Amino acid sequence: MAKKDSSRRDFISWFLGGGTLATLGAIAYPAMRFINPPESGEANVSQLKLPFGRPEIQAEPSNGKTFKFGRDLGIIVLTEAGDLRAFAATCTHLDCTVQHRPDLGILWCSCHNGRYDLDGGNISGPPPRPLEKYVVNEVGDDIFIKKEEV
Amino acid sequence: MKKLIFILILFVPVLVLAGQNNCLTCHQDFEDDDGPSHIFSRDVHSQKGIGCVDCHGGDASLEDMDEVREVRGYRGVPSHREVPDFCARCHSDATYMRNHNPALATDQLDKYKTSVHGERLYRNNDKKVANCISCHSVHEMGNGKMPHSSTHPFNIPYTCGKCHSNPEYMAEYGIATDQLHNFEQSVHGKALLEKRDAGAPACNDCHSNHGAAPPGTENLAAVCGTCHALEAELFVKSPHNDAFNEKNFPMCETCHSNHLVVKPSDAMIGDKPPSVCIRCHSDNDGTKGLETAKAFRGMIDMVVAGREEAHIALREAITKGMMTTDEELRLKEVDQALIQTRTQVHSFNMEDMSPHAVLGKALTDTVKANSAGLIDEYYFRRKGLGLASLFITLMAIGLYIKIRRLP
Repeated sequence: MAKKDSSRRDFISWFLGGGTLATLGAIAYPAMRFINPPESGEANVSQLKLPFGRPEIQAEPSNGKTFKFGRDLGIIVLTEAGDLRAFAATCTHLDCTVQHRPDLGILWCSCHNGRYDLDGGNISGPPPRPLEKYVVNEVGDDIFIKKEEV
Repeated sequence: MKKLIFILILFVPVLVLAGQNNCLTCHQDFEDDDGPSHIFSRDVHSQKGIGCVDCHGGDASLEDMDEVREVRGYRGVPSHREVPDFCARCHSDATYMRNHNPALATDQLDKYKTSVHGERLYRNNDKKVANCISCHSVHEMGNGKMPHSSTHPFNIPYTCGKCHSNPEYMAEYGIATDQLHNFEQSVHGKALLEKRDAGAPACNDCHSNHGAAPPGTENLAAVCGTCHALEAELFVKSPHNDAFNEKNFPMCETCHSNHLVVKPSDAMIGDKPPSVCIRCHSDNDGTKGLETAKAFRGMIDMVVAGREEAHIALREAITKGMMTTDEELRLKEVDQALIQTRTQVHSFNMEDMSPHAVLGKALTDTVKANSAGLIDEYYFRRKGLGLASLFITLMAIGLYIKIRRLP
């Protein structure tokens, strides 16, 4: 009988000890996840490092590449002069995605022939507003994109 | 001092009267409230300081109309035929316009002479055909940026419709009068008049304004292609271009109509009604037309169905509170691929179209798979919560027993 009691006490002690450890783990795990950046970007970001560099942009036939910027889509283009410029990629007319047309030196929306210059200005067609322009910083091989401060 | 007061009393009224616009003073007396002299203050010319005599000549300081008529340069009221030249005195004078409205073109009269309106006016002396004031109104003209103006984009269809929707007025010209009604039902009309999208085309965007004329059949690629550039480019390179020219079919209009351009639907493609392809193509016409149309439709339907499934799966993941930013953006890429797939229909070439459809389908599959993964994770978390709750309950019971057994 005494042996059975001792065994039950041991079980409860082990159970409580294990439970305490598991509780500490449950506290530590989210803290560690918070310290490590997530694989996907945050919902609302004002700056990010692009997951690609200048060679990947140059490799595109259009010398332009889209990227995820928070909940929006951005586009970065390489101009004839070798500058990198980035903009919101959503046309201000009806939300189609714009593309770089190096042959015309513009950003072009194929849906209704909306045209933007390489400063994002709406120069012809139906778009009512310019594209939002982002700040591009190149540090070594890395490209950082930042929203312009209003 | 007395002399000075006398001179002032004598000449001040004269000076005041000299600066007075006697045209308005007299005309306002005998004209109705909506007469020219009453409404002129709303006119863009009046707002820029241009007065009665600048157009009509005469002298605004004179009180006697007979004297006014004797003034050199008095032009009075122009006849219907004289109106374009009357306006062009200033509007075709580049130097004058540079000083008053440098942004405004000065070729309106030249363009007008090439228009159907101008040709009928000058060739046939047609007194019913539109001249400047028919569209711009008179004495309360605005410019295209003023919401009340007859030439503001939102008002242009009704400005043109004043004549072109009037069967009685248009009877002698033998042209349809349903353009405005059709335009109001069209995708362009709904965008312009209901959604108030100033980028949507009004009559003048396809027909020109001062040079108004129906676009030539062979020029539709350029006219529709002003906005639908890629579609026009693809069509011109397609085998349909020569076939349409041969049969004298207007290129865009044959499938999409003109004033009644409704929003294109996928049902317009395929080998069954209401497809537009079957209007010309049949099974035995010696072309691959219907076969290609059927394949196009299959491709589009594949992406549309995939998109719908992906959307349902994504919506469920969103409802369950999962982080779906990546998949929402991917769905935007699907939309883009679907737009490109539909646009490539105008190439009438499966090799050009299929890569876009395949990409769209692949993206929808990814969205579906990832959304399903997020939903699975939601249930995994719920099960985990259930297990954790059970575990915590057992912990509490264990703690209770342990405490009770403490000496």
